[in-house]
Amino acid sequence: MPSQPLKPFTPPTGIFVQLPASISAHAMMTLLFYFAVVCWVVYTLIVIYHWLTYSHASRIAFPAIIAHLAVSLALMSYALSGLL
Amino acid sequence: MKEFELESGESVVRQTRKHWFLFLSELVPYAILAVLPFALPKLLLLAPQAAPYTAQFNYGEPLLRAALGIWLLLICTSAWGTFTKYFLNAWILTNDRVVTIKQRGFFRREVSSLLLSRVQDVTTNVVGVIPSLLGIGNIKVQSAGAEIEFTMRGIPRPEEMRDLILKYVPEEPKKLSSDLPRGMVEWYNGAHERAIVD
Repeated sequence: MPSQPLKPFTPPTGIFVQLPASISAHAMMTLLFYFAVVCWVVYTLIVIYHWLTYSHASRIAFPAIIAHLAVSLALMSYALSGLL
Repeated sequence: MKEFELESGESVVRQTRKHWFLFLSELVPYAILAVLPFALPKLLLLAPQAAPYTAQFNYGEPLLRAALGIWLLLICTSAWGTFTKYFLNAWILTNDRVVTIKQRGFFRREVSSLLLSRVQDVTTNVVGVIPSLLGIGNIKVQSAGAEIEFTMRGIPRPEEMRDLILKYVPEEPKKLSSDLPRGMVEWYNGAHERAIVD
């Protein structure tokens, strides 16, 4: 049995306020961005390898790869605009 | 084609993939996840207790913009992987055989072929309202040996594909093979073949 009376739950005032004081939200987000980019690079290389290896798909392969790279770079720039 | 070489005189009659509707239905989870950051503030407004959190979804704030960019980047990349898998799965009908290429995952690919001369039975199967309306169905191709069975799932216009397969199945001269005495069967088959040669 708790000896103190229960305190009502108070919602956090911001998304990043729960982080420890030693880690800044900006540093955390930068790390997350690097991690996402590394994952993206590995995955993209694997998928491009598949597109290019199985050449029966070559008519669609290059437009698909170019579209993916263009969209990804746009999204990366958007994410970077929040970090720089 | 890297997976298999066409023999001399062999040509591709048709190459088909899963129906586009099935591909789009595979993309639905990605679409929901992509829309979620924009829909969430509006959904929170529906619950009065959660309404104060709506103000936190201000994508003009730099860090939230970064988070949104990363989120969408991961979703787009996954969706592109799904498109790749859809595209690399194919069924190819040549005038000589049926080839199925199954991309089960990255670095996991199966290519198998069935000679049309061994095809004994081709069955189509369309089940459900949407498949009936859009012409989505399955084809089961069984070989004479019965050990090989090809099933193409979710292909567009399966009846058309079945007719094409049957069109290219070579017609064998009918041989007598029943419970008749062996000498009679050999005599009949030999005479039949001689008649074809003549």
